[in-house]
Amino acid sequence: MKLSRRAMIKDGLLVVSAGMVMPAIFSRGIASARAQSIDGSHIAQTASDRTLIVVQMAGGNDGLNTVIPFSDPLYHQMRPTLSIADAKVLPIDTRLGLHPNLAPLKNLWDAGHLAIIEGVGYPNQSLSHFQAMDIWQTLDLSGNGSQGWLGKLVSGWVDQDGHPFKAMDIGVQTAQALSSISAPVPTLSTVNTYRLYPDPADTDNGNARLQALMNLYNSYPKTSPYAALLDTTALSANEGSRQLHEADAQYHAAVTYPTGPFAAGLKVLAEAIVQGLGLRVGYVTLGGFDTHANQQATHDMLMKTLADGLSAFYTDLAKHGKADNVVVMTWSEFGRRVEENGSQGTDHGTAAPMFVLGNPVNRGIFGEPASMSSLDTTGNLKYTTDFRSVYATVLDRWLGASSQDVLGGSFGSQNFLPQP
Amino acid sequence: MSQDEDLYNEPTEPRMRVGQSSSVPSTGLAIPPTPQAAPVPTPPPVRRQRRMSRRTLIGASLAGLAGLGIGGIALGEYVQHSGLSNLFHGPMASDSQIGHLLRRAGFGATPGELTTYKNLGFSGAVDRLLNYQQVSDDATDNRLKALNLNLARPLDQQRWWLLRMAWTQRPLLEKMTLFWHGVLVSSYRKVGGPRAYGRMMIQNQFLRDHAFDTFDNMLLGITGDPAMLFYLDLTKSTKQAPNENYARELMELFTLGLGHYSQQDVFEGAAALTGWHVRGLSSHYLPGDHNDLNKTYLGQTGNFDYKDVVRILANHPATPWFIGRKLFTFFVYENPTDEDIKPLVDTYVQSGHNMGAVMRTLLLSPQFSSTKAYRSRIKSPVEFTAGAYRALNIQGSGDTLPQYPLLMGQTVFDPPNVAGWPGDKVSAFWLNSGTWMMRLNYVDALLARGNFSRNSKPTPVDLQGIVKANNIDSPEHFVDYFSSFLLDGVVDSNRRAQYIKYFTTKDTSRGNAQVTLKNGQSYPFNRVRGTLYLMMASPEYQLN
Repeated sequence: MKLSRRAMIKDGLLVVSAGMVMPAIFSRGIASARAQSIDGSHIAQTASDRTLIVVQMAGGNDGLNTVIPFSDPLYHQMRPTLSIADAKVLPIDTRLGLHPNLAPLKNLWDAGHLAIIEGVGYPNQSLSHFQAMDIWQTLDLSGNGSQGWLGKLVSGWVDQDGHPFKAMDIGVQTAQALSSISAPVPTLSTVNTYRLYPDPADTDNGNARLQALMNLYNSYPKTSPYAALLDTTALSANEGSRQLHEADAQYHAAVTYPTGPFAAGLKVLAEAIVQGLGLRVGYVTLGGFDTHANQQATHDMLMKTLADGLSAFYTDLAKHGKADNVVVMTWSEFGRRVEENGSQGTDHGTAAPMFVLGNPVNRGIFGEPASMSSLDTTGNLKYTTDFRSVYATVLDRWLGASSQDVLGGSFGSQNFLPQP
Repeated sequence: MSQDEDLYNEPTEPRMRVGQSSSVPSTGLAIPPTPQAAPVPTPPPVRRQRRMSRRTLIGASLAGLAGLGIGGIALGEYVQHSGLSNLFHGPMASDSQIGHLLRRAGFGATPGELTTYKNLGFSGAVDRLLNYQQVSDDATDNRLKALNLNLARPLDQQRWWLLRMAWTQRPLLEKMTLFWHGVLVSSYRKVGGPRAYGRMMIQNQFLRDHAFDTFDNMLLGITGDPAMLFYLDLTKSTKQAPNENYARELMELFTLGLGHYSQQDVFEGAAALTGWHVRGLSSHYLPGDHNDLNKTYLGQTGNFDYKDVVRILANHPATPWFIGRKLFTFFVYENPTDEDIKPLVDTYVQSGHNMGAVMRTLLLSPQFSSTKAYRSRIKSPVEFTAGAYRALNIQGSGDTLPQYPLLMGQTVFDPPNVAGWPGDKVSAFWLNSGTWMMRLNYVDALLARGNFSRNSKPTPVDLQGIVKANNIDSPEHFVDYFSSFLLDGVVDSNRRAQYIKYFTTKDTSRGNAQVTLKNGQSYPFNRVRGTLYLMMASPEYQLN
């Protein structure tokens, strides 16, 4: 479903071209958003139908058992019970291999659609989940309540197209990376629950009540607490649920997705892409990576959930002819300690690899390996690659956005995507 | 979502860092160069790191503290007060005070409760809330018992607690228990599997029994709590190989906050905390399994054990600031200043760390009853769910009740991770398009189905009965009656007119059902019910 209506903001003025109809709710949303915008940032970017899917692996994924430096004797030495036997590792070169349950990602590697960035982190890495998550998502140490990097990116887009699904977050809580003062991102668990139910006593399917409801939100005084948040949330929900259910009636997945919320979330994102809802940034979280004890069974299952879900998602898009338009990036707030602990688990660590996958990706291993023999004072890897260089690459080379604007600085780039 | 997805255990969501001063500049890049620490007036300065290369990172958060009032504004505060041209922080209208008190220190009120508490005056009402032992809650206990719930099952645990919050005559006790659950966090997803789910109830009862105890006793109890021992891996910690998990979160999230300890303190604290075991529903401490070496922990040295760790933490100067900030944010408003927190810190110290005394100071503070506090937080899903259930005096067994707060983003006995719910810190996080629709769908279900029972007939809210019992004789009276306890009677004239217009618009309800007012006039049933729906779906009702 393409929106024919387009509006642009030029120098702070809303310009609607002649002949285009700007639905009232969008202009209201834009007005609300503009009233809210404190930094008024205009993100330079080019229009396209390219989509970025961000997968958060929450809890701190054990990078060393994900992309395994199997040829390094220290790996086996420091992990007497947790290291994965060479015979089980899925080698991608003479030095590195993937976790055995990542076989579907190995297939993508073989097909040329997977990139790995090694040693990703940042200076003076925190061993706190929460500070680390703040930094990865807001790029801001002070953290508390500031805007997410993706939120900053997409808030401008919502203004320009008035489209509720420029970004979509799967879950019940909007990820901090997507938090934005001017444009709350639609957040949903399932398509089915993303609707307002009518009162069975109404004979008009709830239309009159819905209209009265929207009037209550529209007339909620702008000086009242949370006025803009409440108003834009109601608008986005109302318009978004209509569009999503229209799309849902027409979408048929081309593959059978695995069970569980992670794959179900990816399926909703695929649906939004296939049905042309204008999705530019999708976000889904897989949790449970904080494996302090009895790590192996949990981590094995998580690797399987991750790989099977992403593989189904990729195949679904490919069969719908959309695989050239989508890039997936994974991240986790930190890796885990090199040496296993006494509970068959691993404690909080630092640098870890990231995956980027999709047809547009240059296959290869990027970044630099973090040394296993030269650890920091806590027994953790020293990072080699700034995570912001990965973000910058995705912004500049894929989304056509200015990384300078979004990240507020220059952090270099990686070659896992071709120069535009 | 399945209740049995152990795989998707904590943490699943990004979250705010807690306990940090919030008025720090929100722009600017992370990872700045090491800043110079400026002096901070009252809170203890963030301790200099001794060994760690993390020192620069922590130094930066100190710079954040020092940046108080320099002009940065955090998201929560901005959203909360956006557009207010004149921030007036005087006292709120006295008519709203008791309604506000019962929402914050409880889960809202029925018209009858409102009258009871109003008759006591504000400080009398605070006394009644704090001296909860003087109010019998036997009726609630008996009603819950009659449901024959299986409290070893998470869904029944959730029902039990949500109904308890809706029905209790000790609302602050339940609210305080909910607060502690969001701070001293465990989740049934990691307490040892289905046979150990009962551990969550033991923890819940502990938090309730000690909700107003000394903080020392709370920390001692939670350290040896069976669910917590498993949730943060202390039960896996051995004297030869101490596990860092509990030692770290105890300092970062339960007592001090980042910046007041080093990684070395985590190592040493982990060694001091060894010796605990959990079996079945009970835990025990074996001195022989405790690491007996000398430890240097937060600047003190000795052969410390868990009691010493708790003593050192409860007496640490950063602790009352940390816990005071959490309390204030949860009960009063977000982004408090140091001046806001100071009286809580003083009370903590003077009362020997008594949390009941701290709560009394908080509830009687001018800030609590200020216009700045009024409707300054988005209702949490649990506040919304239990509050609506309570206000409309819904009976019934609540079989399907837990699914509503779950889809609104909050499941009791299952916080998203060890930092608790981010919405407890920044309440705007509770609200997005998906959770907003779920709130409204809950109101719809509440009004149309009433008791949420699986096997019995729907029992919609009896509007005709309410009209009759309260002699409601006009559409205006209907709106004012519900507004008096749902919205403190604070509805401006334009919005009141919108409700009345909806009520009085000609329509045909399915089956031609009608509600007849005391004056003999009849109105379409769907319009009458729709008016109440709109009041509870309104922006104002989303706020606490």
